[in-house]
Amino acid sequence: MLELIFFNITNGLIVGAFYALMAIGLSLILNLSGVINFAHGGFLVIGGYLAYVLTPYIGFWGALIVSPFLTAIIGVAVEWLLIRRLYGRDPLYSLLLTFGLAFIIEDGTRQIWGANGLPVSVPPALMSALSSRFFFITGYRMFMVATVAIVVVLLFVLLRHTRVGVRIRAGTLDLETVAALGINVRALRSFNFAVGIFLAGLAGVLAGGQLGLEPTMGDGLLMPSFIAIIVGGVGSLTGTLVGGLLIGVAAGLTAVVFPSASDAVMYVIMAIVLLVRPRGLFGEEGMLT
Amino acid sequence: MSKKRQSLATLDRRTFVKAGGVAALSQVAAPFIISARGETALKIGVDEPLTGTYAAPGKNEVLGCQLAVDELNAKNGILGRKVEMLTEDSTSGDAGTAVQKARKLIERDNVNLLVGNVNSALSQAMAQVSNEKGIMHIVPGGHTDPITGADCKWNVFRVCNTTRMEANAVCGLLFKTYGKKWHFITPDYAFGHTLYQGCEADLKKLGGTVTGNELTPLGTTDFSAYLIKARAANPDVLVVLVQGNDMVNCLKQISQFGIDKQIHVAGTQQELESVEAMPPEARVGVWMFEWYWKQASGTPGLDAFIATVRKHTGGKVPTARNWFGYVTVHAYALACEKAKSIEGKAVAKALGGLELPPEVKLQPNKVYFRGGDHQLMLSAFIGELLQKGDGDPENLFKVNSIVSGDSIAPTVEETGCKMQMPA
Repeated sequence: MLELIFFNITNGLIVGAFYALMAIGLSLILNLSGVINFAHGGFLVIGGYLAYVLTPYIGFWGALIVSPFLTAIIGVAVEWLLIRRLYGRDPLYSLLLTFGLAFIIEDGTRQIWGANGLPVSVPPALMSALSSRFFFITGYRMFMVATVAIVVVLLFVLLRHTRVGVRIRAGTLDLETVAALGINVRALRSFNFAVGIFLAGLAGVLAGGQLGLEPTMGDGLLMPSFIAIIVGGVGSLTGTLVGGLLIGVAAGLTAVVFPSASDAVMYVIMAIVLLVRPRGLFGEEGMLT
Repeated sequence: MSKKRQSLATLDRRTFVKAGGVAALSQVAAPFIISARGETALKIGVDEPLTGTYAAPGKNEVLGCQLAVDELNAKNGILGRKVEMLTEDSTSGDAGTAVQKARKLIERDNVNLLVGNVNSALSQAMAQVSNEKGIMHIVPGGHTDPITGADCKWNVFRVCNTTRMEANAVCGLLFKTYGKKWHFITPDYAFGHTLYQGCEADLKKLGGTVTGNELTPLGTTDFSAYLIKARAANPDVLVVLVQGNDMVNCLKQISQFGIDKQIHVAGTQQELESVEAMPPEARVGVWMFEWYWKQASGTPGLDAFIATVRKHTGGKVPTARNWFGYVTVHAYALACEKAKSIEGKAVAKALGGLELPPEVKLQPNKVYFRGGDHQLMLSAFIGELLQKGDGDPENLFKVNSIVSGDSIAPTVEETGCKMQMPA
């Protein structure tokens, strides 16, 4: 039993790291632009399918790098054409817009690549498990965790030590002042949106290797990401990261004792956090009014 | 923003909205509704998932229906009347929408036959409506037992297997070849529950034990926690009952974790849609297909069916779902011809006991609708998944035996169906 619990905590951290990758992208966009991006799962799907198309030409590794960039470009186009027009309005508008976009992307994917799933093989070097005892720690899952770790570190460096990063953080706290200081807020938001969508695209490529591709694959991954943000606290990327890991572990542990509740437990945690500490574990008060 | 740019932006948006409106209209108008061919057309209302997790099987059943409708219209229609097919998206899991669409098809479009659904729970919900309205209803692909068991209805017929038939088809074989301790991964809704109950009952009868049953929510993407638990229980067989994308995700993770090298992996129902979505290494285990395209040469009508489906799918072979849809419409047509009527009760009486002719059944054994519970007695194709296509890239299943429906179905009394035909 102890081993089972230990296994599930480790496994939960792996699953949670993936939730965190999605959630951080969502969180970036929410913090700076006040957009609750329901189409984030859709961009994940786009990233995955683009990688599927690119892989025969540039291989898995090439697709891993190129596909998120292409996804980010599509993301910027969407931001420029649609989402930008709703900045400053009630968040409900952009929520409805992205909600609709999610459906359009899902059905578009179905039109182009078909309703049936597509198989994705991961590079043979990453296929096998670490040991027969730790069978659930496969090369690919370790690689996913490592990728998430690298991305998180790079992102924190970007936000702490580059000019644009500092502007994004400043904008998160007080956009009006940032604008008053002569910074191009439109460009800043576009860049920030691109980074968020890049992360969604990356998550899509990684998920493709783990799960295979299918037009609705984003749905199942989107809700945990929202929960991660709420649990961690809106406005805090550290919180989002911790939130993702936390719900991953909680879902894993619940599966040991009461498997059919492993989805529900995420919502229970969210409810408790909202009741006891509405701003979230690391959130600042009044971030999203 | 300058005035000029502002007006430009407005113009763009308007144009965009108009374009979107046109696109949306064409979506509604073009693909699914065939324009009426005179007032006397006989209408078939298909209420199946076209979006969501069951979109792939749903669309394949719709295609099967469409092929049968085309064949009928190319000849004499049904009783000399053209056949018109109307298709609605039931969604994959929202019973409210499925029922609303069923009502729309029955009340507004006045369909003569209601067809649906892939999802067991939606099938049951739709059957309530069709029964209340007294409209003929054929369920092509929802497997849960009660549809032709405890909840059977005079107007409702089913083409695919019951979950109990699926359990009976495979359990004996698994027990004999793989061992007696089984661990289950079961989807947590109507289909999964009755399928698990069937397997559990069979296993107990054979003298085996269940080491655990992981109930997983529909749409689960990550099965790792369940798999860790299943392996810790150290069973002889890991029985995977989840379907669709869940099946793909689950088998993919099983192969990545190398569990198939330590424990026998098997299940009951397997489908070509799922197998094609898996990478080769995930195609493992013993399963049953409800219909399979690769059969002995000379099976009447088979080659023509395969060729027609390939023409419509860009070269893909027919799946069991295509066949379900195809049988659904043809069986209804045959029953109408037999009854020489399209009146619901007469057609229902004619369809009970109706045997499918070779060019519709497309398989060796006798295939017929049982009169007592309105369940089709179709064969089970039992065999093993192939990692690489044998002979044809899409031949991914090696059929070891084709068992007749009669031999795996519980008796009508055992199903709990008490059929009451209206006076």
